[in-house]
Order: sequence, then structure tokens, then C-alpha cells
Amino acid sequence: MPMRALWLLLIVLLLSGATLSFAADPRMPNKTDRCPVCGMFVAPYPEWVATIQFKDDSQLFFDGAKDLFKYYFALPTKDDPRTREQIRDIFLTDYYTMQLRSAGELYLIRGSDVYGPMGHELVPVAGEEAAKTFARDHGSTHILTLDQLTPELLPED
Amino acid sequence: MTRQWKLLDYALASLLRRKGKNLSILVIYTLTVATLASVLFLTQSLRQEATKVLSGGPDLVVQRLMAGRHELVPLNYADPIRKLPGVKSVQPRVWGYYYDSLKKVNLTLMGLPAEPEILVLLEGERPSKGQEIAVGRGIADTYGFGVGDSLLLIDAAGEKQLYRITGLFETGSDLLTNDLILFPEAELRRFFAMPTNRATDLAVSVYNPREVATLAQKVRYHLPDSRPIGKTEILHTYDTVFHWRSGMLLTVSLAALIAFCILAWDKATGISADERREIGILKAVGWDTTDVLALKFWEGLAVSLVAFLLGTILAWTHTYVFGAGLLAPVIQGWSVLFPDFDLTPSVDLYQLFILGMLTVTPYIACTVIPSWKAAITDPDSVMRS
Repeated sequence: MPMRALWLLLIVLLLSGATLSFAADPRMPNKTDRCPVCGMFVAPYPEWVATIQFKDDSQLFFDGAKDLFKYYFALPTKDDPRTREQIRDIFLTDYYTMQLRSAGELYLIRGSDVYGPMGHELVPVAGEEAAKTFARDHGSTHILTLDQLTPELLPED
Repeated sequence: MTRQWKLLDYALASLLRRKGKNLSILVIYTLTVATLASVLFLTQSLRQEATKVLSGGPDLVVQRLMAGRHELVPLNYADPIRKLPGVKSVQPRVWGYYYDSLKKVNLTLMGLPAEPEILVLLEGERPSKGQEIAVGRGIADTYGFGVGDSLLLIDAAGEKQLYRITGLFETGSDLLTNDLILFPEAELRRFFAMPTNRATDLAVSVYNPREVATLAQKVRYHLPDSRPIGKTEILHTYDTVFHWRSGMLLTVSLAALIAFCILAWDKATGISADERREIGILKAVGWDTTDVLALKFWEGLAVSLVAFLLGTILAWTHTYVFGAGLLAPVIQGWSVLFPDFDLTPSVDLYQLFILGMLTVTPYIACTVIPSWKAAITDPDSVMRS
């Protein structure tokens, strides 16, 4: 009997572990997901996908970090009463590896010659060395971290 | 609606009444469309084929140049490239050409790639030890080979080598499987007498396609004697080459198109006295000018559409069933050395539409305008003249 209980416990633990890690992983946009800021479909631009994951597991997709932060700084709005405290994490696509990573781990480069679907972008790059390389290669000098970002620093268009 | 049906009926009957004239126009019309459509089909297919071959290829190929000529790449060239941010992997490749004087074909011999995702093994297994090879299905068909048979090749030292075929593979494109033989890498080096610290080129795969151009620049900066070639660059070159060749052919065919236009103009506009009288009579018995025009429009449309459809079908058969025997040498260029390959049918509707516009519209205009001239004159004077 205790053996069986132990097994049950193990299974419960495994399952909860699995669901926990599942919840933390952001899902990728499907074909119908649109950016709530510009209204464009997100799926055709896998190299720019950015997403806000809320604590209730819902996700919003954006076609670039710029639109995401526009939305982020505007919260809560008339259409979306959620506050920033309800956000679990923000994920951006690392320019060099094309993988979604938590925004806290990324550097944001402003004013480069790399344009996103919505024009000038904040380009997310993982790692300080890579960020400096990117800035040098693509004619920018402005490397930001998430804490330094303010609404005034978002690119205009 | 019934009115138009009746007019169409009358138009077809009147076409049949002048069988000889209309048939000759139809034949020449069909041939013109067939020629132009063949060029379009063939170019389209070749471009498609090139795209398919390249889509499975590496994002960036790095070659080495010495004295302006292609040289073997030292394996340690891969290290600085691997360190560049954005590079997913760098794979040295060993490959080369082999001319089989018996079959008179050029074969591509390649060391087994580490990630042969574009190859689907049909039968057997991948070669693993020396004296084992895998061949493309096209080669197997040409030589009449199967798994377990042996292939005789002559190596760099002039020695005859017997290789056992352990696997057959195929890819999405016939171009690849028709000349590709896979070797274990060590065996291929021995076959070509290639030093172990060199490779033919480096295949670089890149995460973000936007970064390929920047990476190519950086590779050239770090390795000044290298020549990085991007996938899009190759595609672009193929595109330009095929465009240029098909453009040349189309220019040549333009003479045919113009000749056809002159013929059509002559045949269709030179309304005979008979036809003039017919129009006069029709008007006299109460037809409107619009009816006469509709009639001529239907006649022109019937001839054009039949010729266009026949021409397209003829072109399709010529290109895909008979392998474009009449045009292929011109468009493919020197690649006639390659073994035969079947084209994958691919039709660009937009191009067909343009072709239709270029041939159908002028013909209908040719038939309608002179009839309109005859139809607006007084029936009495038309019949008298």
C-alpha cells in the first residue's frame, strides 16, 4: 500500500511539474493571431514574434518589440483592463537565434538599419557581446536593457 | 441571352462555311501559341527545379579562392565562422565531379552530408564503410542498378574501384538524384586523393535569413581569401540566367509572333467581297450593327480560344511529355552534359494570362474592326460595290 501511494505521489509530482513547465513556455502564434496594436497577422514574421503572457495563461502576440511595448506602457486601457501586475512574462525573439526568450535576458537595440514589419524596431539580442556586435554591424549605438526602456525611447514609426 | 446563343450558332456555322481560310489561320495561330507557351513552361519549370534544389541547400556556401580560382578550404576556416553570432552550424563538405566516359555523363560524388534532410532513402541503407555507396534513383534507372549491385569507378590514381550500392535515395527534384552518388567521406577523400585537412567548401546554416548578407560580409572580412555565396544570390543568378535565355528565345519567337499578326491581319481584315455582301444582306434583313459586331466577335473568339487551348496543350505535351526536345538545348545551356531529367510540370497562370492577352486580343480586334467598318456603311452601297 505505501508503495502504491509513493507511486501516486511520484506521478502527481511529475504531472504537476510537466504542467508548470508547459505554462511557462510561451506558445507560438497561429495563423489567425493579430497584433492588437497594428492589426497585422503575426505568423508570417517568425523572426519578429513578441508576446505577452498573462498569469491566467492567455497570450497576446505582436509583430515586433516596438508594438509590444507600446501596448505594455499603455496598459490598462479601455479595451483591456488588465494591469501590468497581471503579466507573468514578456517574450521576444532573439535576432540571432530566432528563439523566443524572456525579455529580461535580452538587450534591445534602437536605431539600427534592420527594419521590422512596422518599420523602425527595437531589435532584441541575447548576450552583451552579441548586442555590441549587432549594434556595430547594423549602424546603431543605442543598446538598452528592459529596465532602461521608457515610452519616449520607443521608435516613432 | 438566347439572342447571343443564336448569334454564336450562326458564327460557328459561318466559320465552317469558310473552312479552308479559317483552318489555315487556326493551324498557324496554334503553332505560334505553342512555341511561346513552350518557352514559358520550360523556363518556369527550370526555375522551379533550381529553387527546389537550392531550398534544401545551405544558406551560405563559403569557398576559398587562390589566384582567382576555386581552391580547397582548410578545415580550420570553419572556426572563425562558427564564432560569428547568428551562425547555426558550419559543415565542411567534400564533393566533386566525375565524368563517366562509358555512359558519357557527369556525376556528382559527395561525401555523406551530416544532415541529409533533403534526401529520402528509398531502399537499403546509408553507406558506412569504404567501398559502399548510395546512388540517386535517376542513376539507378540510367544504369539499371539496384541495391546490392556494384559500380565501377576510376579513382584519382587511375585504379579501378568497385563499389557496392547499399542504398537508393530520392529528393524532391530530379536534377539532384540523376547525378548524385554518396560516399562515406573518408572513402571519397581517398578516391579524389584529397588531403584530410581540406574540404571542397563549407556549408553554413544561419538562423535568421536577414542576417545572411551581413554574415557573408563578415566572413569575407575575417577570411579575405574566401568567397561566401548566399542562397538567395545563387537563386538570383539562376533566375537571371533563365530569364535571359528565355528572353533571347522569346525575342527570336517575336518574329514569328509578328509574322502571325501580319497573317492574321491580312486574313481577317481583307474582308472578301463575299463577306462584305453577307454583312450587307444581314443588315438589309434587319440586323443591327451591334448584331454584326457580336457575330464577328464570336467568330474571332471561337478561333482564338480553340487555337489558344490547342497551342497550350501542344506546348504542355512538348515540354512535359517529350522533355521539350526542341528547346531544351538552348535554355539549359551547357548542362546538356547532365543525364536526362524529367521536368516537374509547373504552370504560372499569370504568364498564361499574359500570353492569352497578347494573342487573343489582337486577333479579335483584327476581326471586329473591319467588320464594323463594313457594317456602318449603307447596306445598299455595300451590296452594290
